[in-house]
Amino acid sequence: MRTLIKLAVATMLLALVSALVVPVAAQEDPGEDGGTIITSTFGSGPDTFSQIYCTDTACSAMVGFMYIGLLGVDPVEAQIVPGATGALARDWEVSEDNLTYTFHLRDDWFWSDGEPITAQDILYHWEIINTPEAQHPDAWLTDVISSVEAPDDYTLVVTFPDPQCTALNYAGGLAPVPSHYLSQFAPEELVDLPFNLEPDITSGPFYFEGARPGATTNLLGYDDYVDAELGYVAPYRLVQVVSADQTVQVEQLLNGEINVLEGPPVNRRDEIRNAEGIQVFEFPGNSWDYVGLNLADPTNPQPALDPDTGERIDQGIHPIFGDKRVRQALAHAINIDAMIESAVFGEGQRMAAHIIPSSWAYNPDLPPREYNPDLAVEMLAEAGWVIEDGVMTCRGCLYATEVDPNFEGSPMTFELLTNAGNTRREAIGIVVQDELAQLGITVDFQTIDFNTLLDVMDSQEFDAFILGWRNGYPDDPNTVQLFGAEADVPGSGFNFTSFYNEEYFELEQQALTVPGCDLDARREIYYRMQEIMQDEMPYIWLFVQNGFYAARDTVEGFAPYPSQLWWNVDTWTVQQ
Amino acid sequence: MYRYIIRRLIQAIPTLFGITVLSFLLMSAAPGGPTAAMSFSPQTSPEQRARLEAQLGVNDPWHMQYLYWLIGDTWVRRDTDGDGEGDMWGQRKGILRGDFGRSFTRGKRPVIELIGEFVKPTIELTGSALLVGLLFGLPIGIFAAIGRGGWFDNISRVMAVIFSAIPNFWLGLVLILIFSSTLKQADGSPFLPSSWQCNPTLIKCPPIYERLEYLILPVFTLGTAYIAGYSRYMRTSMLDIISQDYIRTAHSKGLTPRMVWFRHGARNALIPIATFLGPAITGLLGGAVLTETIFSWPGLGRQAIQAVTAQDYPFVMAFVVIGAVATIIGYIISDILYALIDPRIRFN
Repeated sequence: MRTLIKLAVATMLLALVSALVVPVAAQEDPGEDGGTIITSTFGSGPDTFSQIYCTDTACSAMVGFMYIGLLGVDPVEAQIVPGATGALARDWEVSEDNLTYTFHLRDDWFWSDGEPITAQDILYHWEIINTPEAQHPDAWLTDVISSVEAPDDYTLVVTFPDPQCTALNYAGGLAPVPSHYLSQFAPEELVDLPFNLEPDITSGPFYFEGARPGATTNLLGYDDYVDAELGYVAPYRLVQVVSADQTVQVEQLLNGEINVLEGPPVNRRDEIRNAEGIQVFEFPGNSWDYVGLNLADPTNPQPALDPDTGERIDQGIHPIFGDKRVRQALAHAINIDAMIESAVFGEGQRMAAHIIPSSWAYNPDLPPREYNPDLAVEMLAEAGWVIEDGVMTCRGCLYATEVDPNFEGSPMTFELLTNAGNTRREAIGIVVQDELAQLGITVDFQTIDFNTLLDVMDSQEFDAFILGWRNGYPDDPNTVQLFGAEADVPGSGFNFTSFYNEEYFELEQQALTVPGCDLDARREIYYRMQEIMQDEMPYIWLFVQNGFYAARDTVEGFAPYPSQLWWNVDTWTVQQ
Repeated sequence: MYRYIIRRLIQAIPTLFGITVLSFLLMSAAPGGPTAAMSFSPQTSPEQRARLEAQLGVNDPWHMQYLYWLIGDTWVRRDTDGDGEGDMWGQRKGILRGDFGRSFTRGKRPVIELIGEFVKPTIELTGSALLVGLLFGLPIGIFAAIGRGGWFDNISRVMAVIFSAIPNFWLGLVLILIFSSTLKQADGSPFLPSSWQCNPTLIKCPPIYERLEYLILPVFTLGTAYIAGYSRYMRTSMLDIISQDYIRTAHSKGLTPRMVWFRHGARNALIPIATFLGPAITGLLGGAVLTETIFSWPGLGRQAIQAVTAQDYPFVMAFVVIGAVATIIGYIISDILYALIDPRIRFN
C-alpha cells in the first residue's frame, strides 16, 4: 500500500513537473534547428546595408529585416496603424488643421548594443536629411515635411506644409538610426562608413552576419528582438542570394537551392503550383498595365498651366484620342480578358479605373467596360468614325469639324509604343493591334528601348503607349503626380496624356484633406473619382498582375497576407 | 626595353583620353538619362526629379560633366536641391586625382571600391577558363598538326568549329538544364550547382580547390571557346614551323620524332601564341559577361551590364577606363613577350 502511495505521489509529481517543464521546453529557442531561410533577389544585389543610403529593393529587404521603423503596417488591414509590430510609434495625434502629427514612442526598444531607441535617433536622421554634405537620397522629404521636433525622448512632433491624408507615408521615411554611433562622424563621412557595409548596431528581428558582394547576404536571428511573437526569433539564419534572373530563381526554388520566392514570372507559376513540396500564396498585386492615350495635340506639346499665371493653356486635341467617345469605344473594342490570358497566362485581374482592386479605396460597384466590338463600332459612328472599305475613316469626326477640315476622310491610324524586352507588354500590344485591325483601325505597334520610350513620353509627342505603374504599400491613392495639371509639363511630370478634369482635381484635393482623414469619407470621394476616370479614359485600363509567393514545404509558419510575405518571419522554422 | 615601355605608355595617353571623351559623349547622348528610370514612380514630382538631377550633377552640360569627372568639382559650389543656387562645395576630386566617383545608384559607394569587390570572382572564373583553354588547346593543336589529316586532326577540327560557333549563353543554359535541372544526386539535389561561387550560407568562400564543383559548368562554358581557339592557332603555327628547313635538318640529323616535334617544333610554334596572351589577359576582366549572368556569378561583367542599363555614368566610365588601360598594357606585354621569346626581334 505504502509503495502504491509512493508510486502515485511520484507519478503526480512527475505529471506536475512535466506540465510545468514541457511548455517551457516547447518555447525554447530552437537555435540552429530553426533552420535557414534562403530567399533570392536578382540584379546586382545589395551594395549597402545603410538605412540612409539604401535605395533599391535588394538592400531594402535586408535593411527591413535588421531595423525597425517609426511606423508599421497591419498586414490584415493593409494600413499604417498605431502600435503595429516592429514600429517605434505607439500611437499618435493629429492636430485639427491636419498639419501636425504628434507621435508617442515606445520606451521598450533598444539598439543591439543596449542603447535605447529614442526620438533623438529620428531627430538626428532629420538633421542629416537637411545636410547637403550627407548626400541623403531622400533629401526631397524636406519639400513635404516642414519640421521635426523632439520635446522629450519619447515624443516626436512632425509638421507638414500642407494638410495631406497621405502624410503618414512621408513620416514613415523618418526611420530611427543609431545616432549615438553615427553622430561622432561628420555628415560627409557618413556615406563611406564601414558601418554601412557591416552594420553591427541593429534593431530588427535579424542582425548582420556577413555578405559576399553580388552573391549572398547572411543574417542571424536576434533573440532579444522585443516584438518576437514567440519570445525569440525562431529561424536561425536568413540568407538572400543574388540570382541571375527570374527564370533562374524558379529553377532554384524547384531544385531546393532556395526555399522562399517572391513574384516568379507568370509563365512558370503553374509549374510551381503543380510541383510537389511547394506551398503558394496568391493575391491581387499592385503592379498594373495600361494603354496611355495622348489627349492633346502631339505636334505642339504644351503644359497644362501657364507657369507664371497658373491659367490653363490651350493644348489642342489629338486627332483621334482628343474625343472622349473614341477613347471609350476603343476600350470596348479590346478583349482584355483574352489579353490577360495571353499576356500573363491568366494571372491578372481587370481594372475598371485607376485604383487597384486590393486598395481600400477600390470601387467594387464599378465594373470594367465590357468587351463589345459592336458597341464600339456604334460609339465610333456617333463620334464620326465609320468603316469604309474595311478602313475606319473620319466622317465628321471631332478633329475634322473643330480643328482641321482637311482631316475629313482620314483613316484611323496611330502609333503604339512600348519598351522592348518586356514580353508582357509586347503581348498586350499585339492583342491591341489585332483587335483594332478587325475594326479597320491600323495600329503601328513598335517596341523601343525603355529609356528612349521615357524620352518620347516626356516629350508628349506620341499617340499611345503601353506601360505600367507599381503602387506603393500600403496603397493610399494620391494621383496628383500622375494626373494633376501641375504634372502635365512636356519634359517633366507624369501626366503624359494631358488629362484635365476640374471636378477630378477638386475631388483629389478633398480626398487628401478630409477633416480627420476619415477613411469612409475619403472612400466615397475616391469612388466618384474612379467613375470620372472610367468616363474620361486617359488610359485604357487593362489589368493588375497577381502577386505570388512560394515556399518549400520545409518552411513552417509561411502565412502571408497580400504584399506582406515576411510579417511573421520571426516565427518561421525551416526543416533541415 | 625600359625606354620602349615608357615610349609606348606615353603614346597611350592620347588614346586613353580619346576613349574617355568618346565614351562619355556616347553615354551622355543615350536617351533617358540616369534619373529617368530612377524617378519613374507615380509619387515623384518634377521638383524631386530636378533635385535628383542636381544631386547627381547630370543637369550640367555634358562637357562640364566630363570636366568634373576628369579634374573634379571641389572648386565649384554645387546646387543639391535644384533651386539653382549652390549650397555646398563639390566633393569629387576627379579621375586625374584618383577619384573615379561614386555610383549613382548603389548606396552612393565609390565605384572603384565596387569594382574591387567584383573583379576577384571574374578573374577567378576567366582565369580558370583561360588556364583550361591553354592546358587543353595547345596540346590538341600540337597533336592535330603532328597527325595532320588523320582522325584526331579531323575530330579536333570539327569540335573546334562547333565550340567556336556555339554561343556561350546557349551552351551554359543547356549545361544547366542537363546537369542541374535534369540530373540529380541521390538526395535530390542538383548533380552540379547551377550558380554562385560556393555554398550560399557561407560568408566567405573556401579556397578555389575546395569548391571546384561550382566552377565546372561556368568554366567549361567559357573554356570551350578558348580550347577551340587555341587549338586552331597552335595547329596553324605548328604546321608553319614543321615545314621549316631547320625541322627537316633536325630529322636528317637522326633526332627522334618526339624530340623534333616538341623540342624544336612546339617551342617555336608557341612564339606567335604569345601575341594572343596579352589581349587574353585583358579579356579576363570583361570577357565573361554572359557566362557570369547565366551562372549568377558575382563578377564584374554582370555588374557592368547592369550599370550600363541603369546609366550609372561613374561605374561605366570606371569600367571603360580600366578596360582601356588593361588593353593597352596587354598589348605592350604581348610585344615584350614576343621580343623576349624571339631573339630575332629587338625593341628598337
